[in-house]
Amino acid sequence: MSGSLVVVAKNSAEHKRWKYVQWAYLAGFLLLTPLVLEPFEIGKMNRALIMGVAILAVNLVVGFNGMLALGHSAFMGIGAFVTASMVQDENWDYWQVLPVVLIVGFLMGVIIGLPALRVKGLYLALVTIAQAAVFPTLVNIDELGIAARTGGPNGKGVSEEVIAPSYLEWLPGVDGARGGSAYRFWIIVLMVGITMLLITNYLRSRPGRAVLAIRDNEAGAAVYGVNLPIAKTMNFAISAALGSLAGLMWCLDKGFVAGQDFTFLLAIDLIIGLVLGGVGTLQGGLVGGLFVVWVNDLTKRISVPLGLYTLNGDGPLAKAIFGLILILFTFFAPGGIVSLWRLISTKLIHVVPLTPSGTPIEPLEGFDPGMESNRADTAMKMSIAGPVLLGVGWLLMNVNSLIVGVLAFGLRMTILLAPVAMLVGTNELKAHAEGNRPDSVKGPATMARNLGALGFLFVIGYALQRFILTY
Amino acid sequence: MTWNFDILPDFIFNGLSLGAIYGTVALALVLIFKATTLINFATGELAMLGAFLVYVLHMEQGIWLWLSMLIAMGLSAGLGVLIERTLTRPFDPADHLPVVLITLGLFLIINAVAGDIWNYQVRILSNPFGKFPSWVPSVGGDRFIMVFGSRLKYQSLGIWVTLAVALFVLGLILNRTKAGLAFRAVSSNVDSARLVGVHTGRTLGFGWAIASAFGTLGAVLVAPQLGGVNPNMMATILIYALAGAALGGLDSLGGAVLGGIMVGLIQAVAVTWGGVVVFGQLYMSILQLAAAFLVILIVLLFRPSGMFGTRRVERV
Amino acid sequence: MVDDVFDEVGLKVENLHASYGSVEVLRGLDFEVPAKGVSVILGANGAGKTTTLRAICNMCDTTGSVVLGDEDISRTGTAEIVRKGMAHVPQGRGTFPELSTLDNLMVGAYTRKDNEVKDDVDRWFEIFPRLAERHAQMAGSLSGGEQQMLAVARALMCRPRLLLLDEPSLGLAPLIIEDLFERFITLNKETGLTMLIVEQNANLALDMADYGYVIESGEIALHGSADQLKNDPAVQEAYLGA
Repeated sequence: MSGSLVVVAKNSAEHKRWKYVQWAYLAGFLLLTPLVLEPFEIGKMNRALIMGVAILAVNLVVGFNGMLALGHSAFMGIGAFVTASMVQDENWDYWQVLPVVLIVGFLMGVIIGLPALRVKGLYLALVTIAQAAVFPTLVNIDELGIAARTGGPNGKGVSEEVIAPSYLEWLPGVDGARGGSAYRFWIIVLMVGITMLLITNYLRSRPGRAVLAIRDNEAGAAVYGVNLPIAKTMNFAISAALGSLAGLMWCLDKGFVAGQDFTFLLAIDLIIGLVLGGVGTLQGGLVGGLFVVWVNDLTKRISVPLGLYTLNGDGPLAKAIFGLILILFTFFAPGGIVSLWRLISTKLIHVVPLTPSGTPIEPLEGFDPGMESNRADTAMKMSIAGPVLLGVGWLLMNVNSLIVGVLAFGLRMTILLAPVAMLVGTNELKAHAEGNRPDSVKGPATMARNLGALGFLFVIGYALQRFILTY
Repeated sequence: MTWNFDILPDFIFNGLSLGAIYGTVALALVLIFKATTLINFATGELAMLGAFLVYVLHMEQGIWLWLSMLIAMGLSAGLGVLIERTLTRPFDPADHLPVVLITLGLFLIINAVAGDIWNYQVRILSNPFGKFPSWVPSVGGDRFIMVFGSRLKYQSLGIWVTLAVALFVLGLILNRTKAGLAFRAVSSNVDSARLVGVHTGRTLGFGWAIASAFGTLGAVLVAPQLGGVNPNMMATILIYALAGAALGGLDSLGGAVLGGIMVGLIQAVAVTWGGVVVFGQLYMSILQLAAAFLVILIVLLFRPSGMFGTRRVERV
Repeated sequence: MVDDVFDEVGLKVENLHASYGSVEVLRGLDFEVPAKGVSVILGANGAGKTTTLRAICNMCDTTGSVVLGDEDISRTGTAEIVRKGMAHVPQGRGTFPELSTLDNLMVGAYTRKDNEVKDDVDRWFEIFPRLAERHAQMAGSLSGGEQQMLAVARALMCRPRLLLLDEPSLGLAPLIIEDLFERFITLNKETGLTMLIVEQNANLALDMADYGYVIESGEIALHGSADQLKNDPAVQEAYLGA
C-alpha cells in the first residue's frame, strides 16, 4: 500500500465527517469511563489525567522551548501542599485556592528559572534535578510552621470530601457508591479541557511563538528581538504554574498529600510520560499520562517464573521496566506514541491543506491512483479484519493471563477503524461511478462500505448500550 | 548564642573529607561533561554499582579490599565504555535530550536491578581506613590523631591521601599519555580532533571509563560514612557533587575537586556547625541538601561559569 | 571530464555528491589534484567549496568515489583517512583553544608511531618562530595569524601526502596573508607536498597554484592551468575583479 487510503481537502465535507468520528470517539471514551470502570479504576484515570497536565507542563519547557526541566515533581508538591493547607486549615474552597496555587507556582517558577535560564546549556537541568531532590526534605522542616502546615513526615489529609452537589448528580456515573471518584473525574476533565484550550492559545500567541522560535534557533530568535531570558523564564513560570495546578488536582483527587509522593521518582515518571506520549506535542502529555499510570499498573502484575528465579514486576524491577521503556523509546520512537499514531493515520487519511483562496494546495486528483487503485481491496481487508479480530479478542478475554488480556483488549479495539473502511469504500464507489476505476473494484468497495458501516454501527450501538445500561 | 569554636575543627575535618568525596564524584561528572557537554545522571548509580562490586568481591569472596577496589574500578570502567559505545554514541551529541533520557533510563535500571539483587537494606562494607595500621606510632588513638584539640580521623586522612593519589594518576594520564592528549583534544574541538586522526568515539569511551572508575572510588570511600552500601546511597551524594561541579565550573577538572570540597565545607561548617551555634541543636542538618540547592542557584546568579570554568561563546 | 592530464595523480575525485539533510550541496564533482603540485578551488560563497573538502574527508553524507594515490577512501572514516596521509586545515583554523601551542602540535602527531616527533616540532618552531615563543600559551589566546600558522603546522605534524587548506586567508591582514602564502610555496617547493587550497582571494591563489577549478552551485564550471584561468575573461570578471 503506498500513499494514503483517503485523501480529503481540509474542511471539506468528508474531512468534517472524519473529524466528527474522532470527536464521537473522544466523547464515548469520556462518557463511558466513569460508567464502565470500577471506582478504583476511575481513580487511576483521574491520576492519569493529572499526570497528563503535569507532563504537559514539562512539555512546555522540554518539548516547546528545548530546555531540560527535571523537577516538576516539586511544583506539583507545592501546589498540592498549598491546596491541602488552605482547604484543611483555612476552610477555603478548592476553586478559591486555584488562583493562589497558580500564582505561587508561577512565582516559584520565576525564582528557579531566572538564574538558570540566563545562561545557555544544561543549567536548568542541573537546578531542577536538585530542586526535585530537595523538595521532599523541605516539607519536614519544623521551623516557620512548615511541618505544621505540611503535616511533616506523616503527610496531610483533607477531611472535606469532594461530593457532587445535588444539581450535578445527573452527570454520568455520579450517583451512589461510585459518585465520589466519578464526580472528581468530571471536575478533572473540565480542568484538563480548559488547560488544553489555554495552552493551545498560548502557543499560538506572540510569547508562545517566541518560545518555539527559541527552541528552533536560539541565536536566530534573539536576532529577531526575542528577549531570551525573559521569554524562557516566563514560559518556565507558566509551566511551573501548570505543574502546581496538577498538584491542586492531585490533592483534590486523593484528599491526602505527603512529601514522599513528590520525589525525584515522580519527576522521572513525568519525563517518561513525556517521551512515551510525544515530546513537543499537545496530546502527548495526556497519552503519556495514561501510559505511565496503566503501564505501571500492568508491570506490577507481571510475574514470570524463570527456573529458580521469578521475574517479579511488583518490586524494584518495575522501575527497571520503565527505564528500559524510556531507553527503547529514545532509540526507536523518539516522537513517542503520538508520532507513531500520526505515522499510522497518514497511511489512513491524508488531509490536504488549503491555500488562502480556499482551494487545496495540491489538486486532490494528484493523489488518485486511478485505474491501478488497490484501495478498495485494502479497505475490504480492513473491514473484514475488524470484526474477526474483535471476535478473537472476545475469545481471548477469558484466558486468565495478563499479556493475553492486554493483547485481547488491543485486538478488540481494531473495530474502531471500521469508519475508515466505510469511507474508503464509499469513495471508491464514487470514483467507479465517474469511470475512474475498473469494474472489478465494485465488489470489494461495496463490501468495505457495508461491512465498515456495520462495524461502525456496532461500535455506536455497543457504546450506547453500555451507556444506557449503567446510566 | 555561644560561639563554640572548640568543636569547629571537628566540623572542618568532616567537611573536608565529605567534600573530597563529593569532589571525586564531581570529577566523574565533569570528565564526561567536558568531552560531551552532557550531564550523566547515571553517574551516581554507576558508582553505587561499583561499590556493590567491591562488596561482593571483598565481603562475599574475601578478596583483599584494595585489590577488590581496583578490580571494581576496572569493571565499572569497562561498563562505562560499553554504555558509551552502545547507548550514547548513536546520538547526535549536539542534541542533549536523547542522551539525558538514556542516562535517566540507566539511572532507573541500575538502581532497580541493584535493588532486586541486594534489596534496599544497608550492607556493611569494610572501611579501608578503619584503624591505623600497626606500624603507625600511636598518637592519640587507633582511629584518630589529635589536632587543635580535635580528633582528626584516620578515615579523613585516608580519604585525602587516596584522592591526592588518584588526582596525581589522573593528571599523569591526561597530560603524559597519548590517550590523555587525545581526550583533551576531543574535549576542546571534536571536529579538529577527528581531522588529526583521533578516533573520537574510542576517546569518549576512554573518558567514560575514567569517569566510571572515579565514581566507584567515590562510592567506596563514602560507604563507611553512610554505614555501608545500599542501592540508594548515591542519591543525595550526586546532588552534592552536582553542586560542587557547578561551583567549580562544569568544564574544569580542578574546579570540580575544589567545588566538591567547598560544598562539603559549606555543608559541615556553615549549615551544621552554624546551626549548632545559632540554635544549639543539630536539626539544621535537614537543610544540608537545601544548601546544595542554594549553592547552585547562587552560582548561576552571579557566576554561571563557576569559579574555574571557561565562558563559552556561542556562535550563530 | 578530466582524464589523466597529470603525470602523477595525488587525489582523484569522481562524481562526488554531498548533502546536508535533504539539501544537496555537491552535484557530481569530477576533478584531479596533481601530485606534488598546488591546486586551487575557486568559487563564490555557498558554491560548495568547504563542503568539497569536508566531503573528501568523509565529514558529511557523500556518494561518489574519492581516490587518494591508488586507494579508494570514499567509505573510510575521517580518522582513518588522516592515517592514510591526508591533512585538513579546516575553515576558521580549528585549533584546540584550551590546549597549549605545543600540545596542539603533539596532537597533530597523534597518528604517528615513530620517534622523530620531537624533531618535527623543532623544525616547525624554526619555520614559525612566533609559535616557538608561545609554545606554552593556550592556543585560544594566540592571534589570528598565529592560530593559522599553528593550524598549518599541526596539520603537517602528521607528515601528510596531501594537505587540504580551507580559506587560509580568512580574517587575516593582507601582509600576513602574503607571508603565509609565501611559506606555502616554499613548503611545496622544498618538500613536494601536494596541496589543495580553497580560496576566495582568487588573485593570490592563482599566482601560487599550478592548476585551478571553479565551482558554481556544486558543479565544476571551469578548470585549467592557473595561467589559463587567470586569462579567462569569465574568471577575470567574476573572481579577479577585472
